[in-house]
Amino acid sequence: MRIQEALSMYDKLNILTDAAKYDVACTSSGTSRKSDGTGIGSCEQSGICHSFSADGRCISLLKILFTNECIYDCKYCVNRRSNDVARASFTPDEVCTLTMEFYRRNYIEGLFLSSGILRSPDYTMELLYATLYRLRRECNFQGYIHVKAIPGASPELVQRLGFLADRMSVNLELATAESLRALAPHKTRKNILTSMRLVQNRMTENKQELTLYRNAPRFVPAGQSTQMIIGATPETDYQIIQVAESLYQKFELKRVFYSAFVHVNNDAALPAKTGEGPPLLREHRLYQADWLLRYYHFRAEELLTEENPNFNILFDPKCNWALKHLEEFPVEVNRADYKMLLRVPGIGYKSAVRIVKARRLGTLDFADLKKIGVVLKRALYFITCGGRMMYPTKLDEDYITRNLLATGEKLPREVREMGYRQLSLFEGGWNEDGICVQ
Amino acid sequence: MKTVYVCSDTVTGIFSGIYDAWKSRKREEECEIALRGMLDQQLFCDYVEVEETEHKADAVEALIRKHLGMRAYHDIYHAVLSADPKKGDAVLGTMLTAREIPDSTKIMDHLSHPKVEKVFELYRNVFGETHSYKGFLRFRELKNGVLYAGIEPKNQILTCLAPHFADRLPTENWMIHDKTHKMFAVHEAGKQWVILWGDTFDEEVFEQVSDREEEYTRLWKGFCQTIAIESRRNPRCQLQHLPLRYRSEMVEFG
Repeated sequence: MRIQEALSMYDKLNILTDAAKYDVACTSSGTSRKSDGTGIGSCEQSGICHSFSADGRCISLLKILFTNECIYDCKYCVNRRSNDVARASFTPDEVCTLTMEFYRRNYIEGLFLSSGILRSPDYTMELLYATLYRLRRECNFQGYIHVKAIPGASPELVQRLGFLADRMSVNLELATAESLRALAPHKTRKNILTSMRLVQNRMTENKQELTLYRNAPRFVPAGQSTQMIIGATPETDYQIIQVAESLYQKFELKRVFYSAFVHVNNDAALPAKTGEGPPLLREHRLYQADWLLRYYHFRAEELLTEENPNFNILFDPKCNWALKHLEEFPVEVNRADYKMLLRVPGIGYKSAVRIVKARRLGTLDFADLKKIGVVLKRALYFITCGGRMMYPTKLDEDYITRNLLATGEKLPREVREMGYRQLSLFEGGWNEDGICVQ
Repeated sequence: MKTVYVCSDTVTGIFSGIYDAWKSRKREEECEIALRGMLDQQLFCDYVEVEETEHKADAVEALIRKHLGMRAYHDIYHAVLSADPKKGDAVLGTMLTAREIPDSTKIMDHLSHPKVEKVFELYRNVFGETHSYKGFLRFRELKNGVLYAGIEPKNQILTCLAPHFADRLPTENWMIHDKTHKMFAVHEAGKQWVILWGDTFDEEVFEQVSDREEEYTRLWKGFCQTIAIESRRNPRCQLQHLPLRYRSEMVEFG
């Protein structure tokens, strides 16, 4: 049992940052807002990263918990009530001062305010509301605010809070209801989805209000997001991206974040500690697949199936898809439609747009593609320019796999450290670039 | 014979050079814009010193806006601020090419042309550096309450950076010091920002910070350390997103 003394600002910030760091979302994108000239702050559509921490994640918002004095006992969470950790709470004033002073110095793009459950969901939401109200109305802060909606809080509070924030998120925590029941006994799937639906409905209504009255207050203009923990429970990648897909379609979420499970507690319900660290590669593959769902017109069942429910560790999901669907290739860059270009490994959505624009003014060859930003060493097996391939290659799954692996580019750390060796070492007739020289 | 127009490394200078080259009605391979001090001497060409005037620059600006459109002007303006010695030439080449295609406003889509591609590449570089500094720039509060930030950019990005901060901090007195190009962007609360040139100033003034400054620096450093998850440590990833050259002025790395 700890007996706590009065904490300094530094200690409080330290405790409540430490408690918030497992939350993934730190994006400041999605709204564009000019300052009105009286307060401070503005928002950029693309978002701005202000720093990067030692784990390589972007620091864009002042990411803190309002309090870590939580009444819940979620087994994966460092702040579960049965853990003996230092506890602290901010006051609304302290959060406002910190945000304003950090913002003036251009340390941050705004505030990310989450919280443990103090007394009850409603009580906690009231505190979050008081903080945001002060920040927006009294300090006249016009920067970015991301706030967590607490599942189980009254709809009226969620609504009031949404008018002060840019983005709101309700954490789904785990992909299936069974897992949630097992690891977070105080949370229910129903409560979480109800809150999500509430935010969604209010956003739809707000869109209508805005078409009628241009200056109507805006409700969560940067949209809603959520996050799932990966690797604490036995779901497959297929289940996870199916959940993500339905969240995008049915709940109109802006983003789904994935968080590789970090072992902070010892609990029988959690997977055993293996010493391998969090499943970062799996998280990475899920983000890649997520991108394909949102920007590349892929569907979840195209990427994975019941029989083959997990991602290939060697290749990104798009490359993997292409290797399994060689009948669609090669694609003629000067003629193929935009959606097909998007499916070529090595062509991103920006390059695809540039290709479509540039080919109106003349035919493109491989040198042009390189300038446009296409990653040729990956794309060359799948495209033709003016009917010709870059090198004579075979449209054969094994052949392409071998060549792509031989270039060794961007193999994830886990794979490199697995003791994997390049196949080309065992075979003659391959030069350094992995291209057949005969 | 080829004519090389030599001008200074400013927007006015380069636009004046383009004005003269444009007026001479030469073809693309017969003229070139070069920057004073960054000149490769070549055989068999005429070197002409450009007389730089605001009038010429305005005329070229109007010409681009009218015929190439605002988007192309936006790209070209950024390209002119770059640190590349061939930038003037790339812009001139782009403008001359624009005359030959049916719809000049589509010129920036013509990426298979080397000069257009060059302008595009320069624009991306300048725009990228501006965007980085929007995040990585750090203000400190001086004794007199002014917010001061020093930066060392490769390109002349002050005129791109200042509007962003003027919008963001309209009620503050602030200044951004471009140490590479010896320029200042200065903003007085509630007024327009201005650009000043000069290297004679009292550097000590910038070192005297207000009393609260140290406390907030300490809080921020603490925050940046705590937010990292130890079991996900990845300095290479950090380095990729935040190159060392930005870190010298960032308090969390001090």
